[in-house]
Amino acid sequence: MNEKQHEAIGPQALLQAWMKASSEFFDSMTQAGKAPENPQVKASNGSKPRVVETWESTAKAMKAYSALMAEPGAMESLAKGIDSLPEVMIKLIQPAWNGFFHLQLEWMRRAGRIGETTAAYKFENLDQDAFKAFTDLYEKEFRQFLNIPRLGLMRAYQERMSQAADRFNIFQTTMAEFVSLLYLPVEKSVKVVQEKIASLADEGKLPETSKDVYNLWLKVLEGHYMTLFKSPEYTSTLGKTIDALSEFITARQQILQDILQFFPIPTQTDMDELYKEIYLLKKRVKQLEKQDKMNKLRTDTPN
Amino acid sequence: MTQPKIPVDLLLSALAEDVEKAHTRAQKAADVLLEPLNTEIASTPYEVVYAEDRVKLKHYKPVADARFKTPLLVVYALINRETMLDLQPGRSVVEIFLKAGMELYMVDWGYPTRKDRYLTIDDHVNGYMDNMVEFLREKHNVPKINLMGICMGGTFSVIYAALHPNKIKNLITTVTPTNFDTDQGLLHIWMRYTDVDRVVDSFGNIPGDIMNFGFLLLNPARLMIDKYVGFLEHMDNKDFVENFVRMEKWIFDSPDVPGETFRQFVKDLYQKNLLIKSELEIGGKRVELKHITMPVLNFYGHFDHLVPPGACELLTTKVGTADAENICLDTGHIGIYVSSKSQKEFAPKIVKWLKQRDD
Repeated sequence: MNEKQHEAIGPQALLQAWMKASSEFFDSMTQAGKAPENPQVKASNGSKPRVVETWESTAKAMKAYSALMAEPGAMESLAKGIDSLPEVMIKLIQPAWNGFFHLQLEWMRRAGRIGETTAAYKFENLDQDAFKAFTDLYEKEFRQFLNIPRLGLMRAYQERMSQAADRFNIFQTTMAEFVSLLYLPVEKSVKVVQEKIASLADEGKLPETSKDVYNLWLKVLEGHYMTLFKSPEYTSTLGKTIDALSEFITARQQILQDILQFFPIPTQTDMDELYKEIYLLKKRVKQLEKQDKMNKLRTDTPN
Repeated sequence: MTQPKIPVDLLLSALAEDVEKAHTRAQKAADVLLEPLNTEIASTPYEVVYAEDRVKLKHYKPVADARFKTPLLVVYALINRETMLDLQPGRSVVEIFLKAGMELYMVDWGYPTRKDRYLTIDDHVNGYMDNMVEFLREKHNVPKINLMGICMGGTFSVIYAALHPNKIKNLITTVTPTNFDTDQGLLHIWMRYTDVDRVVDSFGNIPGDIMNFGFLLLNPARLMIDKYVGFLEHMDNKDFVENFVRMEKWIFDSPDVPGETFRQFVKDLYQKNLLIKSELEIGGKRVELKHITMPVLNFYGHFDHLVPPGACELLTTKVGTADAENICLDTGHIGIYVSSKSQKEFAPKIVKWLKQRDD
């Protein structure tokens, strides 16, 4: 048996027979749609109901398709198409794959840049400088994604959400830095007290009670805090933290405004405008009352 | 046998003793904490004689025959509450003044809400304070009254006295910051680096909780650790627990500060230090310290970390009266009112000083 003969009785032949059978099936379905009309189903203007019309046109389309596919040449071309499918898929997938690899490369380069930034700081300051490194990293590598311009009807709302997320991230890092700064004196004072106790132990003058040790530690801790609180590092971190908190609160407030405007509830901006008006009105009334009182006093006072 | 450098046995026995003491104390403390405690503050009776918006004027009921012709108006700060002057029987400046026969009035600034965010220093000084002074002048039929200010209330009192010297007979300032160009206090350093516009624009009013946290940060070792260690050591003592809880009630009772007042206070005072230079403008008028021509008594605390001596002592050199006196007590910002030592020095001195200038 040669190849053609094999094809004649192979899958193609089966498929052809299948398509012929389905064409006959849809033909009979079309005929079924033309069954004696049910007066109750008929539309009021005498034309066929929409459901029946839809069914008939679908069945006709399927019958035409099946008839087409039943032709011998159609099967061959289908088979050729299926053969070429892998090639087509590869052509489709390749650009996506290349894009993914490109992204991965970019991420690895970014990771490399992280290593560069932390390497620039000295090891002994790594704890504190880790916050600076993370903030730099966030600002250079991740923040830009939140600043991508938004499109469409809801773009303003989306931008405000991104801004709030951005402010939140910055607040988190500055707050973490601030808290870690506050913890530094605790760490250092414990070290100092340990060294002091060790030297006292050498001299044979260990504190007699735990209270003495506590008092010693507290005094050292207090001293360390006083030194920290006057330092420029602390005042600048404090300033940054307060600024970051203020910015985050403003951004969060914006989002809450956006949500509240869809409800029948006055927003904070609405109330602030009212409060300002009330304040100015009250001030004016009090001024006028005072003036009136002064005028009355002048009129009542005999010359 | 030589003595070991680290007498482990002694350390262990001391530790065991401490643990036993702590256990006994904890048992007694449970009894103390579970029984009724008298932690009421500001129990001296008063009536509200004037009210305007959130602000009230309290008149304390006299307990002795009136021995002063001139009533005294006490102006507390916007931070924390005036109840500190009447913390408990035996530690009450109000009690001492009343027993001395004073007609005593005190401003209750109330609890600002968001609608108060636009109130400025002018509204507080030339608005509320002036209205209360007028009320008292009319009520007692006197041309002038005595004015006593505490902390920020003292700053307001100084401003008022400079703008309305014709209405004030004697001025007393206590722990009052008037000179902000000093590095003695941490607040003075920190406020210089605060972007107050950003803070006020985002918060509106400055939350009392944030103010509290800021004050705790001034000395976290003492205020957040040692204070409570002390409590644990004495919590089996009912009197101690009651006094401690009263102080806790007061110290964490912090109203919000109106935003615009805070903005101006930080910018014009902390950052530009305009008051002591007589360059401050309130309600469009220049606050000239030389216009303070009535007698001035200026108290401050040597160990005050909030309003250090450097922030207070210059005032008496800038006023326009020769009868100006500085008194520095060996105490802190709050101790000046509540410590038992100060009770014998502070309030009696004021009574004596006012009596000498009452005619």
